[in-house]
Amino acid sequence: MKPLKLVLLITAALTPMSPVFADDLNDLKAEIAQMRADYEQRIQQLEQRLAANDLSTTKLNDEIKDVPPAPIANNLTSKNSFNPAISMVLNGNFNQYQNNPEDYALDGFSVQGEGDLGKQGFSLGESELTLSANIDQALYGQTTIALHEHEGETEIEIEEAFIESLGLANGLTARAGRFFSPIGYLNQRHIHAWNFADAPLIYRGLFGNQLSTDGLKLSYVLPTDQLFEVGASVGAGDSYPGGGEHSGIGDWLIYAKTGGDIGIESSWQASISHWQSSPEDRAYSGGHSHDAASASSAVFNGDTNITNLSLVYKWAKNGNFRQQNFSLIGEYFLLNDDGVITHSDEFARYDGKQYGGYVEGVYQFNPQWRSGVRYDWVASNHKASDNELLADAGLDGNYSNPQRSSVMVEYLPSEFSRIRAQVNYDQSYSDDDLQLLLQYTVSLGAHGAHSY
Amino acid sequence: MKKLIALLAFLFAQTALADINIFSCEPEWASLSQELGGDKVSVFSATTGLQDPHFIQARPSLIAKARNSDLLVCTGAELEIGWLPLLQRKSGNSAIYDGALGHFMAADYVSLANIPTSLDRSHGDVHVAGNPHIQTSPLNIKIVAKALNQRLQQIDPTNAEYYQQRWQQFDTRWQAAIENWQQQATSLKGMPIVVQHDSWVYLTDWLQLKTVAVLEAKPGVPPTIGDLNKVLNTLQQTPAMAVISAGYQSTKASDWLVSKTDIHRLVLPFTVGGTKQSKDLFSLFDHTIQMLKSVQP
Repeated sequence: MKPLKLVLLITAALTPMSPVFADDLNDLKAEIAQMRADYEQRIQQLEQRLAANDLSTTKLNDEIKDVPPAPIANNLTSKNSFNPAISMVLNGNFNQYQNNPEDYALDGFSVQGEGDLGKQGFSLGESELTLSANIDQALYGQTTIALHEHEGETEIEIEEAFIESLGLANGLTARAGRFFSPIGYLNQRHIHAWNFADAPLIYRGLFGNQLSTDGLKLSYVLPTDQLFEVGASVGAGDSYPGGGEHSGIGDWLIYAKTGGDIGIESSWQASISHWQSSPEDRAYSGGHSHDAASASSAVFNGDTNITNLSLVYKWAKNGNFRQQNFSLIGEYFLLNDDGVITHSDEFARYDGKQYGGYVEGVYQFNPQWRSGVRYDWVASNHKASDNELLADAGLDGNYSNPQRSSVMVEYLPSEFSRIRAQVNYDQSYSDDDLQLLLQYTVSLGAHGAHSY
Repeated sequence: MKKLIALLAFLFAQTALADINIFSCEPEWASLSQELGGDKVSVFSATTGLQDPHFIQARPSLIAKARNSDLLVCTGAELEIGWLPLLQRKSGNSAIYDGALGHFMAADYVSLANIPTSLDRSHGDVHVAGNPHIQTSPLNIKIVAKALNQRLQQIDPTNAEYYQQRWQQFDTRWQAAIENWQQQATSLKGMPIVVQHDSWVYLTDWLQLKTVAVLEAKPGVPPTIGDLNKVLNTLQQTPAMAVISAGYQSTKASDWLVSKTDIHRLVLPFTVGGTKQSKDLFSLFDHTIQMLKSVQP
């Protein structure tokens, strides 16, 4: 009612027509003063309430700040945002050999697959496309597709394509699909992650660079303070030195791995693995007599097993790998063959051993420069009831001990690129060879993580 | 048979009594976990204050530790992208996978600075989510502590009250320490500095230091002599008092700068254990401020 009264009074006071008396005027003044006091009090109250509100807002703001920010709403559709991590590795080479690379042979071994020397002069190396992502709450998936040129044609190869369990049980991991066999140390790493441009001779001789398996792998990390990992894999048994089609399990493998730290600066890992298979018609396509006329190659039937020992040691000042580090890697392989070699209509009982290893040391003396040396050697001891068949299979020459020494230096502009120069003194066969390999390797896209 | 039962009972009793095993990626989070978890947790730090957390090998010892841990306390924001995903997968420990209760990433709770507006590897080693070096400001640590307290209570509800108490005590002490540091550091306001790598933004924001130049023209790429000459030119226009780096970084570039100008070189702790004096979170900032003040005229 008061505002109304005020309005009326003011109107009255302002209306010149209405007569104004002194008493009324005093009353009016008093009333106005009263009203003013009244209003001031109210305004004060309001101000106080506002201030209080302000305080609680800042308090609220503080609390909001503490709460993790909600994802910003945007118009992203799920079509692309669930894309897997994509990375592509590109390679380029420039190789020079003293000898003709076509003449290359590894005495006592039949070199298969990609084990031959790279092209002389300029060439494009393997381009690898890797995609990986969690498939759902239970599975992770990864594939690596390699593209490379072979005799003028581009070949596509699925290097890896596997699924892996995400937390099957404490410490247990299962993997299925195509993967690098868990034999040895280098075998489980992509070629682009190796310290040298080419595979150690023993890898070249036994696997044609690398052994992969189509099958199943199970690994278990023991709940101990020091790492103990055990595992097994079963596979199709069709990749060299396996062979043939097996309706069930074609090859199997068991391994054990352990490792730890020595103080803050050093760490190590040791592993032992054993692989077994019964190859059917394992073809030695690289025999000495391989020309178009003798299209049929010598084949092996029997039992094969391979045992591997590997040892890795790494050091970095204060354990700070970025600035300087040193790694020393050594591996040893022993293969046993027991069976029959057949070629055309002839056959021979065959008992063969192939073995060898490598030791490499790499020192990174600052974040952008690394240098390393490697020594590798192989040897063989083949017994056959007919030595002619050994020659047909390309397994002759076990009288010599092939070996090789390499030096390399790398410049790494960043984590994602590398330029490498490597020199080999190669004594794989009777004619010693001096080799120069220049190479760039870059990685585009997702930031990969490299295992120990 | 009785022996077996006794053994099983013993093992179960062990599990019931067992601590919460915390795997922390960096020493600052190990220190915080210990402050909040007290004797109910056993804490392991995957790195020391003298190691660059971007470049850690997924060593066998780390896989074994990750295998047996209940809680990962790491920075996140892709700081550990080169090694942590491998540890998670190789350990086969579902408790610490992304999204699990045992997966705690500190950077998730802090609003990050330096979020890149464009992504291109030619800009150097940029972090998509923003600058992950959040531990250089105690304000961030206060926020992370609150979130970590909640996580500990979720993981180990039986000791919830214990954690709550420890956190409250820590928060009170930490608040007082922050006020104390801020008071000590009032004179540092506006102090011009040069940094080695863009890893001090939270510290410089907090203490209102003025970053005049960065030695690494591109993050993660060692500076070239050309980059350094540019910094030198900048310093001739606007001189700075100190060039700041972390213990794990190469001092080559800052040494060069010290030889060319009268700037002081400061190797700040950066994290717990980064210098001898920074033994825990409190002494980390004590020593940081003390060192910064030591170069003031």
